[in-house]
Amino acid sequence: MANLQEDKIMQTAADWWVRLREPDTDGDTVEQWLAWTAEDDRHLQAFERVNAFAERLDHLDRVSRQGLINAFARPAPSPRRWLPLAAAASVAALVLSGAVYVGWTHFASGVTTQVYQSAVAQNGNFSLPDGTKVALGAASTLTVHYGRDRRSVELGGGEAFFDVVHDTSRPFEVTAGDVSVHDIGTAFDVRRTGDRVMIAVTQGRVAIADLRKDASRHNILEATAGQRVSYDPSASGMAVDTVTPAQVTAWQNDRLEFIDEPLGVVVANLNRYTSKPMHIADADLNGLTYTGTIRTDAIDSWVGALPEVFPLQVSKEADRIMLSDARHTVQH
Amino acid sequence: MNTVTLSVHVSDIEKLFREHNRALIAFLQCRLGSLSDAQEVAQEAYLRMLTMDNREEVESLRGYLFKIAGNLAIDRLRKRKVRSDFAIVQAHDEPMDEQSPDRHAIAVEQVAGLRHALRELPAKASQAFVMHVIEGRDFGSVAQTMKLSERMVRYHVAHALDHCRARVEEKEVP
Repeated sequence: MANLQEDKIMQTAADWWVRLREPDTDGDTVEQWLAWTAEDDRHLQAFERVNAFAERLDHLDRVSRQGLINAFARPAPSPRRWLPLAAAASVAALVLSGAVYVGWTHFASGVTTQVYQSAVAQNGNFSLPDGTKVALGAASTLTVHYGRDRRSVELGGGEAFFDVVHDTSRPFEVTAGDVSVHDIGTAFDVRRTGDRVMIAVTQGRVAIADLRKDASRHNILEATAGQRVSYDPSASGMAVDTVTPAQVTAWQNDRLEFIDEPLGVVVANLNRYTSKPMHIADADLNGLTYTGTIRTDAIDSWVGALPEVFPLQVSKEADRIMLSDARHTVQH
Repeated sequence: MNTVTLSVHVSDIEKLFREHNRALIAFLQCRLGSLSDAQEVAQEAYLRMLTMDNREEVESLRGYLFKIAGNLAIDRLRKRKVRSDFAIVQAHDEPMDEQSPDRHAIAVEQVAGLRHALRELPAKASQAFVMHVIEGRDFGSVAQTMKLSERMVRYHVAHALDHCRARVEEKEVP
């Protein structure tokens, strides 16, 4: 049947499409492709059909796109990624898919303490002894104290996502600076940038408390799935807004998502993913707010384009990048 | 006073256009994923050809045209990438990407067909395809993530592209 021949041509067209996609396709390949298109009128037609189909896919909306990515481009992590920790008594440094466990363990009053620290630009995944799963962001520190009747985790800095195994007899608590988060059967993310803390819940509920001495003991806020709570010591109270699970976990897929966040916070978090940290020279730049997605493998191009959206100037030095107020520079 | 020296005969360029414009547009659409961008870049490539000053060094005018066009496409992709890194994530309760409702309805059907077609493929093929075509990652980065050679990634993408296109198109043609 003629259809069989047509199918064959369509397959060849798809092969050519893939070969020509490469930005560094050499002239010979292009010549060969041109020769193929000259062989038969149907060849270029077939190629144009492949193009038209690919272009339609290119116009898909963001939500459909993200759905396809989640369904097909992120296969379930293999069980090996969640390494169960070795016996708690061992005092060894383990490397857990990028996160470095600099753990030491002691049994002061029956509490086991372990410290996890990840390197710059390295996320890590691991499980705690009770099966709670942790995804640790780059340049982040987590200290884990597990005792008979409590599980407490301290985020020294950076970001971590917790998928908590619920156990009413042993509550799970995360502290980050002035804030504590109590799990009520939950998956949630905590990010600490200096004194600022952000908690985003993707499943279940958490209770969030302000630990400052002058804070009222009753100042406890409950957040449920889809809510994001921001704590800023200079502001009064905590701010609550909404967030999608995809936004909360974007960083685990090499994308940092920011919604109305001060440039200073954005820069501090990007710095956890780059070997060439940015430094804000003029304090007034900290107040600019940024909303957007930044790929951790494209931080350089993001920085390069910053002056197009903000009145600032970027100067690259040997081991850091300075961001200064363009208006100040002009006056000099 | 500025004068533009035309070192290439206009008739040469006209001939190139007549004989190869359709292929040039197809080549650029493949690179850019957009017919209108392809047309714009092609225009610019012809302009560059008209004002080229090293006519003697160029062996094949056609080869040179495709080379210029390929480089212009790379520039355009680079600019687009900078823009998308800045793409503002609007509050998600806003309507989809300025698309009209009927356009979105088509997209929903299309996506369902696409998902169905992708499920019929080996997991590696659908993964490579979605990472490249939907997520926009280049073959090198897909290869790295999937721990495959770039050749294998291209093979999977081509296979999946052909399969999905055939499936989606067969649904549309009554």
